[in-house]
Amino acid sequence: MFSDVLFRLKSLFRRNKVESELAEELHAHIERETEKLLKVGMSREDAHRRARLLFGGFDKVNEECREARGVYLLETLLQDLRYAARTLRKNPGFTAVVVLTLALGIGASTTVFSIVNTVLLNPLPYPAVEQIVFPWRLAPRGLQLGYNEIPWGRTEFLLFSKELKTFQSLGAFKSDSFNLTGAGEPIRLNGLRASAGFFHALGTSPALGRTFTSEEDAPGHERVVVLGYSFWRERFNGDANLIGRSVELNGASYTVVGVMPDGFSFPHAEEMPGGFTFARNVQIWVPLALSAGPPIPGEASELAVIGRLKNGISISEAQAEMNLMTTRIENQFPNGLAKGWYNSRVTSMTQQVTGDTRRPLLLILGAVGIVLLIACSNVASLVLARSLGRNREFTLRAALGAGRARVARQLLTESLLPAVIGGTLGIAFAEVGIHFVKVFGPANLPRLHEVVLDFRVLAFAAGCSILTGILFGLSPAIGMSRTDLAESLNQGGQRVSGSGASSRIRKTLLVCEIALAFVLVIVAGLLAQSFFRLLSVDAGFHADHVLTFELSLPELKYPDQQHIAALYQHALHSLQSQPGIESAAIVETLPIGGATESTGIRIPDWTPSKNGARRYANYTIASPGFFATVGAPILRGREFLESDTATSMPVTVINDAMAKKFWPGQDPIGKQVGPGSPQYPLETIVGIAADVKHLSLREEPGPEMYVPYMQKVWPSLLTMEVVLRTRLDVAGAVTSARNAIRAIDADLPIANVRPLASLVDDSVAQPKFSMLLLAAFGAFALILACIGIYGVISYSVAQRTREIGVRVALGASRSNIFGMIIGQGARLAGLGIAIGIAVALGATKMMSSFLYEVRPADPTTFAAVCVILMSVAALACYLPARRATRVDPLVALRHD
Amino acid sequence: MPADRIELPQGTLDLLILRTLALEPQHGWAISERVQQISKDVLQIQQGSLYPALHRLERRGWIKAHWGTSDNNRRAKYYELTRTGRKQLAVERTAWKKLTAAVAQILESA
Repeated sequence: MFSDVLFRLKSLFRRNKVESELAEELHAHIERETEKLLKVGMSREDAHRRARLLFGGFDKVNEECREARGVYLLETLLQDLRYAARTLRKNPGFTAVVVLTLALGIGASTTVFSIVNTVLLNPLPYPAVEQIVFPWRLAPRGLQLGYNEIPWGRTEFLLFSKELKTFQSLGAFKSDSFNLTGAGEPIRLNGLRASAGFFHALGTSPALGRTFTSEEDAPGHERVVVLGYSFWRERFNGDANLIGRSVELNGASYTVVGVMPDGFSFPHAEEMPGGFTFARNVQIWVPLALSAGPPIPGEASELAVIGRLKNGISISEAQAEMNLMTTRIENQFPNGLAKGWYNSRVTSMTQQVTGDTRRPLLLILGAVGIVLLIACSNVASLVLARSLGRNREFTLRAALGAGRARVARQLLTESLLPAVIGGTLGIAFAEVGIHFVKVFGPANLPRLHEVVLDFRVLAFAAGCSILTGILFGLSPAIGMSRTDLAESLNQGGQRVSGSGASSRIRKTLLVCEIALAFVLVIVAGLLAQSFFRLLSVDAGFHADHVLTFELSLPELKYPDQQHIAALYQHALHSLQSQPGIESAAIVETLPIGGATESTGIRIPDWTPSKNGARRYANYTIASPGFFATVGAPILRGREFLESDTATSMPVTVINDAMAKKFWPGQDPIGKQVGPGSPQYPLETIVGIAADVKHLSLREEPGPEMYVPYMQKVWPSLLTMEVVLRTRLDVAGAVTSARNAIRAIDADLPIANVRPLASLVDDSVAQPKFSMLLLAAFGAFALILACIGIYGVISYSVAQRTREIGVRVALGASRSNIFGMIIGQGARLAGLGIAIGIAVALGATKMMSSFLYEVRPADPTTFAAVCVILMSVAALACYLPARRATRVDPLVALRHD
Repeated sequence: MPADRIELPQGTLDLLILRTLALEPQHGWAISERVQQISKDVLQIQQGSLYPALHRLERRGWIKAHWGTSDNNRRAKYYELTRTGRKQLAVERTAWKKLTAAVAQILESA
């Protein structure tokens, strides 16, 4: 092998010597043959001629020897490249179209692939990530929550930690927020309470100091904190001496024990199930410090659990152990009381992070692949059309002894060169594209910040360019190499009309292109329709002019319900008295702001159905004025009033879904309902509100009951969302709000200020992203198809000039001619659309999960896209058709 | 040209060259003469086609070339068999014998 390469290289670099030696060798042969023939009595002239005849074509042998030496490949490649570069330079318009089409196609594909690469292919940044799992608790079947995973309770987690054998470490965590005070303006920090096993399960080592010890995870010893890297850099200027010093959180002193490395901020909200509300960017970690001991009645379940499997343990083994465990827990409750409430699903970290984005990303990747294919076939068609004009050149080459393979190789080189240039430009486009996606892409796309042009992405782009180069170079090569030598030569100086084969190839390419474009536009159309249906959905509230922020009260200063309620009451009054603020209210969970509390309920006069369907409802704490402030209409009855206090009659407002579910055909006003446990008082229904959506605009709203904050029985109201209806701009409203709150408690930061409308936007960010990308791809595909149709039809008009001339001479009217050309385009477009419909019907079936209130085979969309494509086709045919009608028969007949 | 000459089957040219060179180093023209003499002019080789085959064999390392002086004091490129070439000849010769024997058997039994 090595000597072979050496031999080839020697032949290449000592070319002159090798060439002259070869010539000498061949000439010597002919010389000897001539001498031999002279000896048998031929004349010198005859002998020489005969010797040459016996030898065969001298140039051909020469060429074959070169090929045999292996110089050939390298040398002709250089030669072809030089030639290709020259041809490209000579046709700047053609080159620009080809290179730009490819650059856009490859750029778009590379951008999408770079996202797919990061989100789906790159391993997550945790050591031995395949061992990290989430043993989620599953909600009972039939519960319409919009998500499946629900939190574990304290005692269950303690049991897991003690008994589970398949995990090497197990950690629990829950979201919490902390007010950092004591230095300058108070700020609210996104925090996480995590048990010691949390960091062990993740396996990430701190950049400085250490994480929690198990001693610190016991109540009374939890006053330590681990800081996030960027928070440490920004707030403490990256001071390494901070370790061991203390900071003031929620009015208490915490010792800083560690700083996590840059980029670590687990958990990310967008990667966790819908039922858990985590911050998008966790800044500090504090020990969870669960107390041991038996279950406390009414204790909330609010823990997420993460674990690291022991070496060699598979997920299914862990699942099996979890199943045994949950069955055991379920059986501890008498009379099957807990039936269905203890189920688990062990989900791998990778699955958890990429789960929901996998399908949309693959859809987009598929779409961009179609765009690339269309771009490719368009360029193929262009190259083919141009190569027809070069028919005589190729014929000449063939006559001079160039084999079919040789011509094909040259054509391939000529297409690979623009493909590689297009690819390089495409990588530049991708760089821009990635930046664009990072700025405008949905913030809840996991790992978006990690997206880069890495080696794998570059390899992908390179592969794309080479593959497209081969693909679009191949069709002209096939078309050309079929050219019949004699026929072409016989046509002499005449214009060579496209051979049947290449014209067929072009038409086939065009039909495929139209079909692909059709499918793409259909997909884009369906997504756009779902998106706009989604936007026009009644979310149950009006987000315009509503500003929200978070208030988080330190427990030391506000230890009980009385203090808390008094603070909110004052704050609301203070806010409402600010100029420009029309109304203010507090609520536990914002509309479309994520999952709210949920509870089993009891209804005194309600007889459960036979199958034991559990009565269950969302449970949200709100203040008087909440419904008016967020614009959620009260359908019947009234909303909360200032007079609904801790001492007055307990009241509740329920949503429409709850009214319909538990009191179908009745008026629920005046009926009673309460949390499942009999220790809580029943509440009287005073109003019915519209269904407010929580997780997404798509969700089917479940039953929900609202309870006034003055009468709440649980949970603690330490963190509440404030909603303001105001005509002020955001900055003005924030200033007013800050003044109002500062007047009551100067240490309370207002955090997470967002217009309610931005929550709505966030909730549709992903479908919007998919739709916009698909729409862009669809538009691009339409333009390409348009160029393709234009190219094929105008070429065919040019080709048929003579025929058209004859027709006009024989009396065909201009409208006849016009119709004929348009008809030709329409036939091709029609065929493409017909194939497109068949393909689209199959393809869109797979995307029903992306659609909202639109059927995959939506006839309106299909009809509209047919019309669009036909119009585009007609438009593309218009110019060539007009050119055809202007054909002057006299000129046309003299055309050739 | 005698009518009973037959065209050389594909791939046998290499074998013939190797066999010819097994006797002694030779230059191109002499090889073509030798092949035709030995085969009593039955085999027809386009003389030119010999050279690509020689260069191919050289690249594979089965033969090597050097410039020398021929009988009448002229420069000529001599080819000789290398050690691997000798092994290759043995291999191809066996393969050829097997092939012809098999074909002959089929032709006669049919």
